[in-house]
Amino acid sequence: MIQFHHVSLEYPVTRTLALDDVNLHIKKGEFVYLVGHSGAGKSSFMSLVLKRSLPSKGEVYVAGEPLRRFRGGRTAMHRRRIGMIFQDNQLLPHLSSADNVAFALRVTGVPRREWDERVSGALKLVGLDHKKHALPVQLSQGEQQRVAIARAIVSEPPLLLADEPTGNLDPENSRDILKVLQNVNLRGTTVVVATHARDLVETFRHRTLTLRRGRLVRDDPYGGYAL
Amino acid sequence: MTYHLRQAWLAMRGNLTATLATLTTMVLALVMLGFVVLLTLNVDRALSQLESQVEVAAFLRDGADTERILSSIQDLPQVREATVVRKDAVLAEMQRDYPYVREAAELAGNPFPDTLRVRVARVADTTTVAGAVRKLDGVESVEYGAGYVERAARVLDAVRVAGYVLVALLLAGTLFNILNAVRVAMYARRAEINVMRLLGATRGFIRLPYLIEGLLLGVLGAALAGALLVPGYEALASRLTVLVPSLPMLQDRAVLAQLVGTLAGLGVLVGLVGSVVASGRYLRELE
Ligand SMILES: Nc1ncnc2c1ncn2[C@@H]1O[C@H](COP(=O)(O)OP(=O)(O)OP(=O)(O)O)[C@@H](O)[C@H]1O
Ligand SMILES: [Mg+2]
Repeated sequence: MIQFHHVSLEYPVTRTLALDDVNLHIKKGEFVYLVGHSGAGKSSFMSLVLKRSLPSKGEVYVAGEPLRRFRGGRTAMHRRRIGMIFQDNQLLPHLSSADNVAFALRVTGVPRREWDERVSGALKLVGLDHKKHALPVQLSQGEQQRVAIARAIVSEPPLLLADEPTGNLDPENSRDILKVLQNVNLRGTTVVVATHARDLVETFRHRTLTLRRGRLVRDDPYGGYAL
Repeated sequence: MTYHLRQAWLAMRGNLTATLATLTTMVLALVMLGFVVLLTLNVDRALSQLESQVEVAAFLRDGADTERILSSIQDLPQVREATVVRKDAVLAEMQRDYPYVREAAELAGNPFPDTLRVRVARVADTTTVAGAVRKLDGVESVEYGAGYVERAARVLDAVRVAGYVLVALLLAGTLFNILNAVRVAMYARRAEINVMRLLGATRGFIRLPYLIEGLLLGVLGAALAGALLVPGYEALASRLTVLVPSLPMLQDRAVLAQLVGTLAGLGVLVGLVGSVVASGRYLRELE
């Protein structure tokens, strides 16, 4: 599903080497953790897969296609097959939970008659069906995070990227969210979760990639948090 | 589509200053253009009416080769028509108009030379033609009465050029205002645009509200311009016709409708071009 081939990413302005010669292969249907200290390059990894940025060296492949080649509308089509949960949730402040989730359907041209059912389905899955009319400011951080998850999964993408989905949550909420992500994975979606949460990684064991200062230093097939 | 219309409307209402600035310049530009075109049409009509009356008279010396002079005048490209009036015919004409000429002629013989009457195709060429005729061998003197017509035509030409320059500037101003309006609208929604892009919206989808905004501004500006121009011109034309009945003012509804249609097309074009350019550019800038 995702392949990195000698990928380096240097941010031009600061000349920070966020990723350094990374090679990896994440297969279809996998559930993978991406761990590492703050600044290790987890969000940068996500940016590359989403084609928010292009690697300075090497090539990123998604579903076998090199992203660098995408022109015109291909990038948009590429992003439609990815559900992304952003570290800073990126909810639109003037839209209710339901509208934020429906926004993903709207901008990708899903017919309006399908919205209601799919939006409430996604909100139910994250346990927020009762807050569909609330604006983001009227929700707790954890609830906002769950709206962001609902928005990422509502279009049923084959690939789900979650950047610190449990960043601001207590352990119990974090486990709930992780269960949601695992359920999505069980339906066949490839899931990549970037996280700091050691207890989660040790409780729900999955393949774990460890980044250290931009380098991929460990790839444990059965998990384990080793920093 | 309703979503995009709504977004366009919100963008226009959200930046009322930019919207009004764009509309004002657009209406000014279109009204100005309309008036310049109408002025031109009317001036052309007045001039062509005068043209049929403007004539250059060339008085020939005694013994001049009338036929040769006639054919060289007819060879001038600006000349529409040239005719010879023989000295006898001139005398007869003068005697008819002024009976005392008869006595003078009986005393001194026919004092009138052969005369050539020249009609020019365009009033503006009168002086040129008169000058060329004067230089011909055997031409004693030249007379033409329409110097004022030509001067008026020159002044009006200058006014027309100044008008078109002003219109061009106003249209450029309109274009810049639209660029600015779209930029402000997109800047205000940059967070939303960013999320749209990350969720996989196409560029066209993101730009559509701003294209609609440009289109609406064009349509609205053209409608306002038409609403100001047509009644304004018709009032002016009917008043002028009363004041100067000899002035052949254009009052053809079909021509006016065609003009308004052209102005509307221009307004919409400027609106669309502005928003296409701006939305494409600022979307790239936001990336
Ligand atoms: N837009 C940017 N411009 C310049 N440098 C950046 C940019 N984004 C990230 N970096 C740098 O790149 C490195 C990797 O950042 P990244 O955001 O990928 O880390 P992370 O693993 O997601 O950290 P965290 O756990 O804090 O989210 C860091 O040193 C960071 O300072
Ligand atoms: Mg990060």
